[in-house]
Amino acid sequence: MNRTQVRRWWRLSQQSPWIATLQFLIFMALVMWVVLRGAAEMGYQWQWYNIPEYLWKEYKGELYPGQLTKGLMVTLEMTFWCTIFTLLVGLITALLRMSNSWSGSLLATIYLEVVRNTPLLVQLYLFYFVLSPIFGVDRFWTGVICLTFYEASFVAEIIRSGIVSVDRGQWEAGDAVGLSRRDAYRFIVLPQAVPLMLPPLTGQIINLIKHSAIVSVIAVADLTTEGRNIIADTFMSFEIWFTVAGIYLVITLTLSVFVTWLERRVRVRT
Amino acid sequence: MTAGRRNKKTRWSWIDLLVIAAVIAFVVFVVVRVETVLRYTWNWGHVMPFLAYVDEDTGRWVTNLLLEGLILTMRLAVIGIVISALIGVVMGLCRISNNLFLRMVARTYVELVRNTPPLVFIFIFYFFLSSQLMPLLGVDDLARSDSEFVQWMVRMVAGDPSLFSNFVAGLICLSLFEGAYITEIVRAGIQSIPRGQWEAGKSMGLSGFDVMRNVILPQAVSRIMPPLANQFIILIKDSSIVSLISIQELTFMAVEVGVSTSRVFEVWILTAVMYFVICYACVIVFNWLERRAERSKR
Repeated sequence: MNRTQVRRWWRLSQQSPWIATLQFLIFMALVMWVVLRGAAEMGYQWQWYNIPEYLWKEYKGELYPGQLTKGLMVTLEMTFWCTIFTLLVGLITALLRMSNSWSGSLLATIYLEVVRNTPLLVQLYLFYFVLSPIFGVDRFWTGVICLTFYEASFVAEIIRSGIVSVDRGQWEAGDAVGLSRRDAYRFIVLPQAVPLMLPPLTGQIINLIKHSAIVSVIAVADLTTEGRNIIADTFMSFEIWFTVAGIYLVITLTLSVFVTWLERRVRVRT
Repeated sequence: MTAGRRNKKTRWSWIDLLVIAAVIAFVVFVVVRVETVLRYTWNWGHVMPFLAYVDEDTGRWVTNLLLEGLILTMRLAVIGIVISALIGVVMGLCRISNNLFLRMVARTYVELVRNTPPLVFIFIFYFFLSSQLMPLLGVDDLARSDSEFVQWMVRMVAGDPSLFSNFVAGLICLSLFEGAYITEIVRAGIQSIPRGQWEAGKSMGLSGFDVMRNVILPQAVSRIMPPLANQFIILIKDSSIVSLISIQELTFMAVEVGVSTSRVFEVWILTAVMYFVICYACVIVFNWLERRAERSKR
């Protein structure tokens, strides 16, 4: 494309959102075409028709989950346990950090700094090779524990900043009414802090789903691992990777939309 | 607040006792398990030479696998942050442009990257890059070039010329991945500049481009720098993932050394400490720089 063509393209897209959308679609089609051309030049045989059997199987009129669906189930199961433990560890860490106890805040700070300044992959290897033989934990739970401690470092900060962001005056008002510290938390601070925390916490679940893919390194049979296994068997690398990425995208994008909705609701209420 | 607390005597509460008891119980349990059940014999002397050792012939220190891995990690991080910052600035500007087409392209890029697991992204990209993009860019020819200068450049960038195309593939993967996050940093930085600045620039008779260059960007840069520095640390950490596509950085080397020596505990503790030292040093330096920049602003 030369300069006048670029300029014409630009001016066209300024005219109406429909034309811009059309241009966008043309552009995406072009990208797809380049990808397909590249694959064709490698002599790649597309076998999309083989994909459904990895999603579901039909046997005597009944549907059974395929390999990828089973992997997805494991991913979701991990996410479920991780979410519960993450909230717990995050809450404890946040409370310890905000407490008056010197050893509590020291422990919480050390934990946060260590987790924040080492890669998740190295933490996973550390848990898998060092801590799991020491504690005698199997693969699945090693993955869950490792992810829990990683995500909890973020959750702790979300919870802390949520509580800190409640105005000092609210605490003082609680004192003035004669509420104890615990009651002030329960009736004044938390009802204001929790709605603020919800959107970033949901965002953290999205991160959890994404980061859970890393457990395929220690061969937990999650979605990514199953994808890698199928590729090793069938060499359909492109189809499987695109399907796997598509499944992750559907889940995370749905949750993203939910987060945006939550955020808007919080903004309306405050 | 901290000063006030320091004046008071260290107070002990039941939480302190609980925390200390828990930590002691944890340590005792680990030590007992390691010593009696696993019967692990620690041998740090076996692992340390993988950092660096004294060559017996020349009597000089020579870096070994782990330290070389660390150097490659730093190479990836430094070059990676430059490339991903470029991507981030271009895409960030697209993200806030008046042009819907550009906005849609940038948005698609950001959402696609941010919503797929890093692992899956890197695998997908690696398959494409190594098979399609690399020959297209002529990376292999570059590494085999006769020119002294090109050879020197290749060695500066990747260390070992034979691993150059591998290195570039990993680098592009990482940069595209981090670029999406930097796009959002740039967008947030530019959008945080009050509208009045735009209007002031426009009323001075500056064109849109000039307002951007002379009014908005200079202000935005100081707001973009702290999160960008933070992204550099994240990049160092994320670079460990490219070990899975056999880029020979620190994590990859640690796996190799762990397998070949079977001193797994020492190797992984050492690797984690190395990452921690590097990242924490960056945190301290960046905090210091930020504080200095803030002081000079006043």
